[in-house]
Amino acid sequence: MTASEQLRAAVERERMILRWSTAVAVILGCVGIILIYGPIVWLALMSISEQPLTGKPGPFTTIWYVKLFTDMRWFDPLMVSLAIASTVSVLCMFTAAAIGRVLPHVGAVGLVILSMILIVLFMPGVMLGVDFIIFYRILLGIRTGVWSLILAHFVWAFPFALLSVIIVASRFDTRLLEVARDLGAGRWRCFRSIELPLLLPGILSAGFFGFLLSLNELPRSIFLRGGITTLPLFEWAEAASHSTMVPLIYGLSTLITLGSLVLTVLALSLLFKRETA
Amino acid sequence: MTTFAGLWFIGVILPVLGVVVVSLLRMTAEGGDPALTLDAYREILLTGRWEVTARTIRIAATVTLILLVISFPFALWLAKGLRSTTIKLVIWTLLTAPFFLSDTARVIVWRPVLGLMGPINSGLMTLGFIERPLPWLLFSESSVHFGLLGPFLPNMIWPIFLSMTLIDDDLLEASKDIGASPLQTLWYVIVPLSLPGITAGIVFTFVPILGDDVVAKVLGGQRVLMLGGAMLDLINALNYAVAAAMSTLILVIIAGLQLILVMVLRTVGGNGSLVQGLKR
Repeated sequence: MTASEQLRAAVERERMILRWSTAVAVILGCVGIILIYGPIVWLALMSISEQPLTGKPGPFTTIWYVKLFTDMRWFDPLMVSLAIASTVSVLCMFTAAAIGRVLPHVGAVGLVILSMILIVLFMPGVMLGVDFIIFYRILLGIRTGVWSLILAHFVWAFPFALLSVIIVASRFDTRLLEVARDLGAGRWRCFRSIELPLLLPGILSAGFFGFLLSLNELPRSIFLRGGITTLPLFEWAEAASHSTMVPLIYGLSTLITLGSLVLTVLALSLLFKRETA
Repeated sequence: MTTFAGLWFIGVILPVLGVVVVSLLRMTAEGGDPALTLDAYREILLTGRWEVTARTIRIAATVTLILLVISFPFALWLAKGLRSTTIKLVIWTLLTAPFFLSDTARVIVWRPVLGLMGPINSGLMTLGFIERPLPWLLFSESSVHFGLLGPFLPNMIWPIFLSMTLIDDDLLEASKDIGASPLQTLWYVIVPLSLPGITAGIVFTFVPILGDDVVAKVLGGQRVLMLGGAMLDLINALNYAVAAAMSTLILVIIAGLQLILVMVLRTVGGNGSLVQGLKR
């Protein structure tokens, strides 16, 4: 075999390895995506099936959706969830904006504070729920209620909200503010005319994420509900109880999931608009 | 900002630390003087609860390993193999959206599918592979493993993907130019450089699975009790000391994993790389 033939064989072999590894990666990726989205598609399919509890799709019908809007027991929990989610969303927007706009520009202190906030992402929800109820209810003796739900949801959502503001804020050129100041703009004017518009995508997605994370939060709520029923708590109780409500839960979950999906895509496109443009 | 950091410390970090103290106290119903004791930990070890802890750790470790096997090649392809920006954007969105969706909705749907009369069992029976429905499909450890895969996959892919995008393409070129085979490049360049992401991915999947209570309750039934469910039962039974001890146990595991993460980051160089990765 000549040297050039050997080289060609080696190159050929390398290409084979690359091709095969790409195939493996793509197949694994498909398996992953199916693992995530299979259940959602199946949920939607079952919600329009006549007998969803048998686990077999079809014959298709809208009867469960009709029933869903005649049996409105889910309405109050939905309203409670929406109210809490909106509150958490607004809280997230304001605090994430206030903290996120300075945090990337203060150096080491910022890193310490950031890690103190992000550490919550490492804590399982159940653990935080237990810690909060023992601390606030048992040690401090405060009755749980709406406030504890809002607090727990806020603590859960805030790291995400903060990150989305920081993503935008760290790309922010602080020289713009210096220029504005040199041109005679006051502090408020600087913030309103320059900082706010530039940070707005991050702040809005902070609001979206806060809303969605609160709306779908379950593990912390189980501990801190204090007699209040949010929508996930309602779904959870109904799904666990084998009640007649279960087929309706499929329809309800499908609607909520689709709504959340649309909101997420909106928030993401807002957050990364500048990169794709 | 300092005010907020202080409030956050009092409102969030203090409860976590406070629970460590509670787990060490003997609290009597009459009030009385609390005394230092390790009773709660003894109870975890002696009663069947140790089994729950061990089972939870075993399940979490297995699922984390499976997710790592799925995620590493996929993340590598996403970061270095895929050229089309549109497909990349679509996959990014698909991988981000699940963070904001309800777990319950996605998990309850498995129950009828895996059930005794579900499509998997009846399908296998029609095809003649089995004569009776497989009882271990639902309310078993296998169904819990299976149910945990989907919800926690994004937690594993994201950190690995982020650390891989930080690898300079020139390094891969250089490795190829000096005659390394693709496998050598993978082992000597890509794996070491993405180690922070891999470690972070393991932490981000392992820890939340430890605390998961939805999947185990819905797909494991009464037979596969995990830490999350056990803690809920304890709180409902007003057994706060043992619940606090379990919470502390998880905290110790988290701290240990964090330590490993920090050490890995230090050997690879640059604690800030993960933060940088997040900024991208």
